[in-house]
Amino acid sequence: MAISVAVLVGDVADRVMPALAQRTRELKVLDGANLAAEMGPIVTRAAHERISGYIGLGVTEGAQLVVDGRGFLGASAGQGCEEGFWLGGTLFDHVRPEMRIYREEIFGPVLACVRVPDLASAVQLVNEHEFGNGVSCFTRDGNVAREFSRRIQVGMVGINVPIPVPMAWQGFGGWKRSLFGDMHAYGEEGVRFYTKQKSIMQRWPESTPKGAEFVMPTAK
Amino acid sequence: MGIAEIGHFIDGQVRGSLATPARTQPVYNPAIGRERAKVALGSAADVDAAVASAQAAFRAWADTPPIRRARVLFKFLELLNQHKDDLARIITAEHGKVFTDAQGEVSRGIDIVEFACGIPQLLKGDFTDQVSTGIDNWTLRQPLGVVAGITPFNFPVMVPMWMYPLAIAAGNTFVLKPSPIDPSASLMMADLLKRAGLPDGVFNVVQGDKEAVDALLVHPDVKAVSFVGSTPIANYIYETGARHGKRVQALGGAKNHMVVMPDADLEQAVDALIG
Repeated sequence: MAISVAVLVGDVADRVMPALAQRTRELKVLDGANLAAEMGPIVTRAAHERISGYIGLGVTEGAQLVVDGRGFLGASAGQGCEEGFWLGGTLFDHVRPEMRIYREEIFGPVLACVRVPDLASAVQLVNEHEFGNGVSCFTRDGNVAREFSRRIQVGMVGINVPIPVPMAWQGFGGWKRSLFGDMHAYGEEGVRFYTKQKSIMQRWPESTPKGAEFVMPTAK
Repeated sequence: MGIAEIGHFIDGQVRGSLATPARTQPVYNPAIGRERAKVALGSAADVDAAVASAQAAFRAWADTPPIRRARVLFKFLELLNQHKDDLARIITAEHGKVFTDAQGEVSRGIDIVEFACGIPQLLKGDFTDQVSTGIDNWTLRQPLGVVAGITPFNFPVMVPMWMYPLAIAAGNTFVLKPSPIDPSASLMMADLLKRAGLPDGVFNVVQGDKEAVDALLVHPDVKAVSFVGSTPIANYIYETGARHGKRVQALGGAKNHMVVMPDADLEQAVDALIG
């Protein structure tokens, strides 16, 4: 549930882009077993090719490639990593909603920055996306946080929390095309999903006036 | 030395595939790009065997008092805590994520086992006395039967734990079909469950790909399917499962946005975006 899209409101983009670029370049991409690592390799060769393809596509679509992770050398990730599936962190600026790198799930270390003028257009952008899994809003304004939480068409919302994976007793689930079905995973909805309700209505009439009979019934 | 084959876990035993010749797929260590094992890819016959074992175990498990089912989970929890770094290491070796992230994933899974330990309370029904003269009405929740979980490569421990702890706590029996990309953690969890005293057949693992998934989706004895993966597959699982009369929850893709307002703490926001 990592962040795929940064929605930078007003002048935020100009203020954060240098720091974002620097941090992306300085990411410690190392063998995951190395405790200094901040990011490990890509899971498979096929995933590596798919993600690299998306980076190329972003350039073709006209987004500005600020940091390109494709040149990353496995050898710098640790001993024996030359043939691993390595990719550096990648940063795009000026991504537009019609681009495929915005619309589609890349599932790799690629951050797409979209610039919008105000909160209303940020909310509209998020709400128009096909997926509605997780979202977050960073602000110091309580009213912005409240309005955002209420209006956003997403199942899991973080306020100054980037990855708001709900706790065990709350349940995990997105909206829109991020979840098919009626119930979220785990939490009380998880209990409901794995059980069915039965209603039992019961009456025990009083014993017959004569009491129980213990003899063979005979025709009377 | 020959390369190890990662098998299924059916009826309390690790097994190879029933079909001959059996299909397999290489499992890599993505950091070094080298094959570390092969995983069996189950056929419909393996799914049938797992579901039959789960079906056979269902009645006795469903009749086991919830507090006794919870006791098995408490024991499992103890073993998980002892072995959480072993699980994290196997995640790092097959998925590639950094070890501390793998530890975090295992911890979030353990949270759900802890929640599932409260199953006696979670299953309590409602009771109304005297709805009419001499008549009471109450509700209770009963398990469905055999339920299946189909899980992705990105969280090979946490996502299965979104599913099976609650499913088995509630009295169901379970068939897990993990991702063939990082399958080893599933067998480690199966082993810990067995050591915790879970009866054979209550938790099964069928390794595999679409062939095993399709067999689960149409199997008449599978009553519910939980899935996490991409949206096109989630949609397929939902439609196919529903068409075959199953309860389905299918979690699909994401494009998680983070909105940064001009008044935000920008240093914190940059940390959050890169972290």
